[in-house]
Amino acid sequence: MNGPLIVQSDKTLLLEVDHEQADACRRVIAPFAELERAPEHIHTYRITPLGLWNARAAGHDAEQVVDALVQYSRYPVPHALLVDVAETMARYGRLTLTKHPVHGLVLTSTDRPVLEEILRSKKVQPLVGERLDPDTVAVHPSERGQIKQTLLKLGWPAEDLAGYVDGEAHRIDLDENGWALRPYQKQAVEGFWHGGSGVVVLPCGAGKTLVGAGAMAQAKATTLILVTNTVSARQWKHELVKRTSLTEEEIGEYSGTRKEIRPVTIATYQVLTTKRKGIYPHLELFDSRDWGLILYDEVHLLPAPVFKFTADLQARRRLGLTATLVREDGRESDVFSLIGPKRFDAPWKEIEAQGYIAPADCVEVRVNLTDAERLAYATAETEEKYRFCATTATKRKVTEALVAKHRGEQTLVIGQYIDQLDELGEHLDAPVIKGETSNAQREKLFDAFRQGEISVLVVSKVANFSIDLPEATVAIQVSGTFGSRQEEAQRLGRVLRPKADGHEARFYSVVARDTIDQDFAAHRQRFLAEQGYAYRIVDADELLK
Amino acid sequence: MGTTPEGSSPRTLAEALRARSEQELTALLRARPDLLNPVPGDLTQLATRASTRASVVRALERLDRFTLQTAEALAVAPEPGRYETLLALLGGDDGDLEVEAALPGAVETLRTQALVWGGGGRLRLVRTARELLTPSPSRPSPTGLGPTVAEATAGMSPGRLQEILAANELPTTHDPVSAVTALTSLFTDRRRMGELLDQAPSEALTVLDRLVWGPPYGEVTASPTPPVRWLRDHGLLLPASPRTVVLPREAALHLRAGRAHRTAEPVPPAVLPARTAASGRPAGVDEAAAGQAYTALSTVEELLQDWHEGGPPVLRAGGLAVRDLKRTAAALDTHEQMAAFWLELTYTAGLLAADGEADERYAPTPVYDEWLTLPAAERWALLADAWLTATRTAGLVGGHDGKGRALSALGPEMDRSAAPEVRRRVLELLASLEPGTAPDPETVLARLRWERPLRPGAGAGSDGVVDLRSRMAAWTLAEAETLGVTGRGALSGHGRALLGPADGEPQPAADRARTAALTTVERAAAQSAAATALAPLLPTPLDHVLLQADLTAVAPGPLERPLAETLAVLADIESKGGATVYRFTPGSVRRALDAGRSASDLHTFLATHSRTPVPQPLSYLIDDVARRHGHLRIGAASAYVRCDDDALLDEILADKRSQGLGLRRLAPTVLAAQADPTTLLQSLRSIGYAPSAESPQGDVLITRAHAHRTPPRTPPVPVPDGPPAPDDTLLSAAVRAVRAGDLAATVERKPTAAPTARTPGPGGGLPRSTSAETLATVQAAVMTGSALWIGYVNAEGAASQRVIAPVRVEGGFVTAYDHTADEVRTYPLHRITGVAELADDPA
Repeated sequence: MNGPLIVQSDKTLLLEVDHEQADACRRVIAPFAELERAPEHIHTYRITPLGLWNARAAGHDAEQVVDALVQYSRYPVPHALLVDVAETMARYGRLTLTKHPVHGLVLTSTDRPVLEEILRSKKVQPLVGERLDPDTVAVHPSERGQIKQTLLKLGWPAEDLAGYVDGEAHRIDLDENGWALRPYQKQAVEGFWHGGSGVVVLPCGAGKTLVGAGAMAQAKATTLILVTNTVSARQWKHELVKRTSLTEEEIGEYSGTRKEIRPVTIATYQVLTTKRKGIYPHLELFDSRDWGLILYDEVHLLPAPVFKFTADLQARRRLGLTATLVREDGRESDVFSLIGPKRFDAPWKEIEAQGYIAPADCVEVRVNLTDAERLAYATAETEEKYRFCATTATKRKVTEALVAKHRGEQTLVIGQYIDQLDELGEHLDAPVIKGETSNAQREKLFDAFRQGEISVLVVSKVANFSIDLPEATVAIQVSGTFGSRQEEAQRLGRVLRPKADGHEARFYSVVARDTIDQDFAAHRQRFLAEQGYAYRIVDADELLK
Repeated sequence: MGTTPEGSSPRTLAEALRARSEQELTALLRARPDLLNPVPGDLTQLATRASTRASVVRALERLDRFTLQTAEALAVAPEPGRYETLLALLGGDDGDLEVEAALPGAVETLRTQALVWGGGGRLRLVRTARELLTPSPSRPSPTGLGPTVAEATAGMSPGRLQEILAANELPTTHDPVSAVTALTSLFTDRRRMGELLDQAPSEALTVLDRLVWGPPYGEVTASPTPPVRWLRDHGLLLPASPRTVVLPREAALHLRAGRAHRTAEPVPPAVLPARTAASGRPAGVDEAAAGQAYTALSTVEELLQDWHEGGPPVLRAGGLAVRDLKRTAAALDTHEQMAAFWLELTYTAGLLAADGEADERYAPTPVYDEWLTLPAAERWALLADAWLTATRTAGLVGGHDGKGRALSALGPEMDRSAAPEVRRRVLELLASLEPGTAPDPETVLARLRWERPLRPGAGAGSDGVVDLRSRMAAWTLAEAETLGVTGRGALSGHGRALLGPADGEPQPAADRARTAALTTVERAAAQSAAATALAPLLPTPLDHVLLQADLTAVAPGPLERPLAETLAVLADIESKGGATVYRFTPGSVRRALDAGRSASDLHTFLATHSRTPVPQPLSYLIDDVARRHGHLRIGAASAYVRCDDDALLDEILADKRSQGLGLRRLAPTVLAAQADPTTLLQSLRSIGYAPSAESPQGDVLITRAHAHRTPPRTPPVPVPDGPPAPDDTLLSAAVRAVRAGDLAATVERKPTAAPTARTPGPGGGLPRSTSAETLATVQAAVMTGSALWIGYVNAEGAASQRVIAPVRVEGGFVTAYDHTADEVRTYPLHRITGVAELADDPA
């Protein structure tokens, strides 16, 4: 017994990366355990019921899981844990949703007591129809999503084998001219298509859009794409025109400003969740065409009402794209039951190792506040403290020094507070993109930045999502949304796109020492450190010298 | 058996014992050690003591099911019993090879235990045992048999007996004895009985079917149905009381084809391997058990480490409060039942005890510190041995004792004398399987129930309530797994060693009562054997950890103790199991600094014990915390000396005479002193300086202005001559009070029928009247609405006189308007000493 894996009593798995069997072990545990942390030596995976059910959905059985644990474990695996794994996995697939020629949709059980148990639940009763035979009960097709959600909450996830409608056919091909889908992107598309519906987890910058395009080319049907905001919608459109046989005319944008419904329609979450007089006026979008595929970008940000709409769309193929399954609101189970199980997952570092993501050098610059600033900080109101220490003048100086140091490189300065950004823009003589900047202006600036006409861009948090700045090699973060780990990951993602010259990206985080800024930074960085991006710490004084 | 020739059969148990060899007597005393206390004077005394009820009950309770069945069968057989009769009763008419094989052993056991004496043809059950086992209406026998014909007909009229004989077409006899004999011989004759029953109406057979396996009693109405009447006429049902009938034993035995028990169980049920016997690899079992054993050790250490500086308080009734148990369970990340097990384990192992102080708390014992220094395997062996031999039973925690009091962990009333024997026996049963085989727990329980059947009336029933022994056995299986004695349900190698040297082959049935605890020497040997077996399986402690940039340290296995202790201070434990994950936080680093480590210490420590370079963020974290640690210093001083001239302070510090003042230099211009300001001032003056005192605000205090003041005081209120002038309200109230009081005191009473009962004078004591008189007068007053003068003694015993106008009398209380108090009040009648009518309306 000298395996690379240590099974902990709290159901975490510790994988020693440098062990000779580590890769083999990683391959067998990845289907059922979520990678939680991936720092340099020991990676932490966690076994959760959802993870085990994901594995079941992917065709793994309990025996494989137990074998994997026992085979690679360094110490004896607690018997109770193995039993628990087997029991949890056995819960998936006892109930199946299938098509029925007469009743439309039926719920069938291979284990009658389970069916009895769930039928006794008050939450299930309104969702089911008549009992067709001891093992089968009719379900109204419109409750397909609801019942899956409810059953998962009861701990008996149903396997959805009821299939999908093909939707309105529409010719979509990949235009692989001078480029090709990367191997992992192909795997992701295949995994999704084979599973029918589900989520593909890829790190930022790993080309999730292309996975979407690949899925569309597989489906060859009208597609509804849901994205987080307008900039991102344009980005998708641009990318689709470039990478597929689709033309501008075939792609519609459904946003606050434009309401086009075309064979491929890109809608923002915001417009869908706009509520007027208690109703969602834009819901009809879902019914306006016979969609063959629905794509969800950034599933981890999917707003709650969209889940509700999704529940009614269970007969259509759904593909979720995300960098992480972790949701700050803990609704991972809804993603599982409504969009589908995880179909593909590739850790950040692995893709980096394959050269598809630029390696990044993360540096935390510790700034010493001046005595006057320290005093002012000490006397500031609690709610003002973060703002104060995040926007100190000393930080500005350091930022200027950093920009000067990387003169000639495409540099992004990212911050939270508009006045700080305005001031920085002034000092650095760089344009500032913030909430009030018009979309046209934004795209113009982005374009100029892309072309290298301007080399420094100051952006507020509007740039957090889905903008594509291929040539940004340096990002300087001066302030953030408190301790948001997701934001940190997104921002790092800005510089992770592969660089033309292949040189290392730099991510600076300017932090005021001995203040809550430092605490927040520590919290944010923990996520990156867990992803294997270790921070280096540099004293500002050294930079300013 | 068969040592005593049938011809010279002993007449008493004492005689039988006298004929026994030394070994046989030794065996008896070993099986029934209660006979030894005190050592009996002679064999007669021994025999007497062996026949006492308490001793016999104790012996019977320790018999296995078949031996007990044998004793029960003997109790329903005619006295003295013949071996063949016994065989027939147990094996039935058709015989049973297994019974035949097992019976000699069972009889021999009974004989060894002096429950049975006499030779093969004349087996006698000790009288007390017979009384205990023979069926009687009040105490049904497990055999479900009723009384014999002779017993059941004891009070029957001879005429009735003759009628029964006639109904059965037997010749009449002259006396009841021969009638009974005739009837008995009919019932015991299988052929004739068969013919008789062939004639019976089919409903009658149904009735018999209901009674045949017991209980044999049935209720009848005054006019029974024809089938019951037929049975009664033929003596197949005999009257037991006016309303009940009983199926006589001989008839029942015929219907049962001679069997005393529905099923004789001559062979103990086998302990079977679990159906889902996964991976029966002994090595796998040992590894799993060793892993669990290691977890057990770390849990115990964690628990006691948690209570390192004193645990929770001891309840006044003894034991641990439920709240504290919950807290402990949460700390150990387990459920309460499990927490109770760990607590009891440490307690029985002597690692934990109450400290015996005034505010009694639990705390680790000195033994714990010694225990910690032992190698892991020996530590485990000590725990496991303590568990195996303890009578304290952790499984009871959370339940209630006979008086309904909750049983608390570490509390009293937790001892169950059977516990060690059950634990040992369960493990022995596990040991009887092939190594590495897990048993089916049900078969283990069945086997235990066979070996020690529950006597009816000796506790819980069969339905729902599970008897204590079975529960203990179930606990044993669970606890053995937790402790790592078993792995994946099968007994591990080290667990086997714990049981002592193997006795070789599975023990023969007769030997099974020999589940005796080991002697101290044997225990020590077993412990060290277990430790030796376990040692190579336990992971060897590591001397290094892996440090990572996300500020965690992973110990990929158990750590050497000093390392683990330091790390536990320096970092928070995030995840436990085979490995330990530590997380460094500013708080944890500060803790280490508070514990007296310096930053450079910590750097060196991490560099020494890390296999990998120390990540930069971690060094920064330590430096950051260290930089601010102790930046502010806090201490206590009584006074200070401040001077702008450093040289003068140097001078004072250097002066020998200032040494008693506890002066310390805090800054070039400040000295702190332990002496209070006044002393300091005087001392410095006496040395020859001219210090001045400072106020808290830093002003110089001027001595001349020094004056003594009281705390804030209010000026005295003027005291006028005489009371203040009364106002109208007061006056009217006063007048009313005076008038009412006057009324009570001076009013003339109507003369009553008994003037002697009256109090001496109007100004004198209370009116007196008898209670009947009182009641009548009060009731009359209610009717007339007139006022009364009463004497009343209040709850404090103070007597008073009042004038009341009664409104209502009920339930021993008078509700009345009290003129004296000017309100409606209620008076208990018994407190009214007497009443008198008022002569006249005073108004």
